[in-house]
Amino acid sequence: MIRRRRWRQSLTPWLYLLPVAGTFLVWVYEPLAQAVWRSFFEWNMLPDTPMTYVGWGNYQNILALPKLWQALRNTALYMFGLLPFAVVAPLAIAIYTQDLPTRWRNLYRGLIFVPMLIAPVVAASVWRWLLDPGHGVVNRALAAFGLGPVAFLSDPRLAIWSIIGITGWKLIGFATLIASAANARINPSLIEAARMDGASGWAIVRHIRLPLLSSTALLLVTMSILLGAQWTFSYINVLTDGGPLGATTNIYYLLWDFGFSSLSVGWSSASAVLLFIGFALLALGLLWLTERVSLHDA
Amino acid sequence: MAMQRRHLLAGLATAATGLLPPRPAIAAFAAAGIDHPVQINFYNYNLATAGLGADATRKLLREFMRANPNIKVNGVGVPVTGFTARVQADLAAHRQVDLIQLGFGDLDFAVHSLGAKALEDLIPAPELAANFAGIAPNGLKLGMLDGKTYGLAYTFSTPVLFYNADLFRAAGLNPDQPPLTWAEVKQAALTIKAKTGKGGLATGILGPSAFDWLFQGVVRSNGGETISRDRKTMKFAAPEAVEAVAMLRDLNDSGAMANLDVNAAMEAMAAGDMGMYLQTSAVQGFIVAGAKDKFDLRASTMPSFGAKKVRPNNSGSALILLATDPVLQRAAWELMKFLTSKRGYTIITSEIGYLPLRTDIVDDPQYLGEWVKTHPLVQPNLKQLAVLEPWDAMPGPNYRQIVKTMMDAVELAVTGKVDVAATLLAAQQTTQAMLPK
Amino acid sequence: MTPDAIPAPGWRLAIRPQAMAQRRGRRLGRGVLGHGVLLALSFVCLFPIYWMVVTSLRPANAIFETTLWPSAASLANYRYTLNAIPVAQMLGNTLVVALLVTAIQLLTALLAAFAFARWRFTGDRLVFALVALTWLVPFQVVMIPNFLLVAQLGLLDSLTALVLPHFASALAVMLLTQAIRAFPQEVIEAAHMDGASSWRLLWQVLVPNLGGSLASLAILIFISTWNEYFWPLLLSRTPENSVIQIGIQMFMSAEGNQWGPLMAASTMASVPILAFYLVLQRQVVQSFMQSGLR
Repeated sequence: MIRRRRWRQSLTPWLYLLPVAGTFLVWVYEPLAQAVWRSFFEWNMLPDTPMTYVGWGNYQNILALPKLWQALRNTALYMFGLLPFAVVAPLAIAIYTQDLPTRWRNLYRGLIFVPMLIAPVVAASVWRWLLDPGHGVVNRALAAFGLGPVAFLSDPRLAIWSIIGITGWKLIGFATLIASAANARINPSLIEAARMDGASGWAIVRHIRLPLLSSTALLLVTMSILLGAQWTFSYINVLTDGGPLGATTNIYYLLWDFGFSSLSVGWSSASAVLLFIGFALLALGLLWLTERVSLHDA
Repeated sequence: MAMQRRHLLAGLATAATGLLPPRPAIAAFAAAGIDHPVQINFYNYNLATAGLGADATRKLLREFMRANPNIKVNGVGVPVTGFTARVQADLAAHRQVDLIQLGFGDLDFAVHSLGAKALEDLIPAPELAANFAGIAPNGLKLGMLDGKTYGLAYTFSTPVLFYNADLFRAAGLNPDQPPLTWAEVKQAALTIKAKTGKGGLATGILGPSAFDWLFQGVVRSNGGETISRDRKTMKFAAPEAVEAVAMLRDLNDSGAMANLDVNAAMEAMAAGDMGMYLQTSAVQGFIVAGAKDKFDLRASTMPSFGAKKVRPNNSGSALILLATDPVLQRAAWELMKFLTSKRGYTIITSEIGYLPLRTDIVDDPQYLGEWVKTHPLVQPNLKQLAVLEPWDAMPGPNYRQIVKTMMDAVELAVTGKVDVAATLLAAQQTTQAMLPK
Repeated sequence: MTPDAIPAPGWRLAIRPQAMAQRRGRRLGRGVLGHGVLLALSFVCLFPIYWMVVTSLRPANAIFETTLWPSAASLANYRYTLNAIPVAQMLGNTLVVALLVTAIQLLTALLAAFAFARWRFTGDRLVFALVALTWLVPFQVVMIPNFLLVAQLGLLDSLTALVLPHFASALAVMLLTQAIRAFPQEVIEAAHMDGASSWRLLWQVLVPNLGGSLASLAILIFISTWNEYFWPLLLSRTPENSVIQIGIQMFMSAEGNQWGPLMAASTMASVPILAFYLVLQRQVVQSFMQSGLR
């Protein structure tokens, strides 16, 4: 009797987990396992073409690719380039708007959130239109000050920053809301007490708010490092195709380009596996860091 | 999943035993006729857009089905970027793909990876010859590979030099005598730039979505080639090609040519901000829309290198037959015949803006006669039809990477501060290694 | 991190006497600066959207104008767009898909989060990690295998295929787990003592108290599903069975983007979401504030 109840009890959580676990098993982990398997073969997916075992060949080819290192460098650039939009500005805005009258606070936070609602494809084409070197309104405005024209998307030195800017534009509102939510949860009596003691506004931010927001900040850092390269994908795809001269290619785009454009399954699977391992390691590192910081908090 | 796993196992078994899976025999002809209703799937990129291309394609299919009640054509719209991948994915998913509209640059891939069928293998010689009558021989060559016809030119164009006659006048140039050589183009571009403050020249040669079709024509016009005739040796670092790229570099360094991506260049021309624009005539509709009531848009042929002959190649797509069932092959062939008929090319030319491969319809009032009179922009195109050469499709499974590596090097050589010959040579060696052994 | 965490001791050191007037003056200056920066930022956030709408109103041969308002505003692009693609149906499809995905993801995430928060069981940390890790699997990796699976199920060119792979969301599971864990244990224990089953506990005690989290998650899921592009692009066969993002894409082509109709379609695709946001702006922002997102 007792054993049966215990058995039922240990089964219950799994029943609750079933829909999520099943979905991920079928649509994520099974394909991932296939990718690991296929990364050792050369195959173009067509039913009547042979699948040739090539051992570590695909991995060797990828690591020998001159574009890979450029893509990795760019990936790092994307990650860090997004930090001001995903972490620094949102924290600053959250802290600053917290002390504004409610109407202004909600207005600003509400307006900054709007780009988040716009579809990436729409955002990409609208920005493409705005940034055109000839008839784009941004360059027309610059011309009024005697500047430009700036080739935002076709100058190899600028293109990646344009993509970062557009991604950041989409992102900043969401990150601001997260930062604001965390900031609003700070116990007002702490701030009041500090103020009574005569602490200046900056001192309150520096010594009370920022330390209490550190775990939120770390969450935002984690998100932009782990997902930044994925977020930029649509913009690269619609705006630059990875160019000019590979200046905007990141590791996801490279994967797409090599694997999908000619469906060489071995190549793309091998790069997927490398990518997954790389990001999983990065995630573990960040997780470890997060736990240390939250310990420090408490 | 189960199906897929079976394939994985089959693949493994193949790998282990070294046996090739059976391929369908290719010697059998298509069926002689169709006596029961069939449906064929036509993968088409015009149908994946909204506008003239899609409307005209639907019209063509409607007309065909009315004339061939036993054949139902299911038009599958697939965006042009990623077209081959989608066809490949659908083949992998065991979908029936009978006829595709594919860019000429993908021809080798279609033959060796997608299983394109040679028309000579499917259609009895007399019937084929009867249908090919009236098509210019160099037009037929566009879709040939290793001596067999795999593709029939469908929606294709030639490179033309669009120019803004108003800007020509404003710069003191004569719009009735457009520049014919690259040296004249450079001169005109610099004059326009200096006198009007607008851009001189833009081209569709470079940029991420440009591919290599226009570049091939530039190199060939200087007596070079990007790849050898037997398609075993990359040659875009040979002296003629280097000279051609150095000329482009000079256009860039002198400021005559603006470095714009494909869309920006097209829009600058349409907005009236650019003096000249070398690009496929397929973009004509877009530029005409911008020029309407704004400026006098005209077109000329592709510029030459001094007295050397201009040797342009086409852009655009061919019809390629993939069907494996004899009856469906016959149905797909019937559709191919209709789309490349006098009537088909009339609609394609007058309603989408491409070119007729049957040049005899140009003066025929029953077909394009009246239309050509009112559309002077098509003239340089028609002139170039006579000298058109094939767009060389790079061979092997890495063909896209070959094109990309080559064009990246060209772009770097033209817009960067690097040594032209050395840059091209390095890329030529890289791409040589990507060719099939 | 808890809201009542003890502040770092350093702040006391920062106290120094200051003239009130000086401080007030500086605060005013900083206020002007702050409002200036925020207004500029708001402008940058809104202007592209304004420009999208304005461009959609420009006739074809005035499309390159940069006047703030079209010299001859017309609805021609809208008429053209409505003729060229089945806008209403595509919007309807998008709405159905987005609503279904939102409802299903919330439901499955709620169940999973409850399991993670309520019980300790063998392998719970591993399963949680595996759920979280799905966030890092790029969709490019799973796209083709998923495409083949959908094709084998005979679901190409159907809305079902757009919903099916989206039955679960890692983000939703993680956030709801956090939210449920933050729920006062005494209440849960009390309900348990009263003999409430886990099922009733979830629906009658927890769900009514998770309003903020559920609302903000619903908004996030809805937006990202509404805006999804690559998966529908691979699946779409006919405009009638596609979503609006595919409709937008149909105006981009190698032969030149049709900017007017493109912007008109983009505007029509964005209006439902923008209108929804305009009406519920305060609630949206508020729900994020209460969501426990952190």
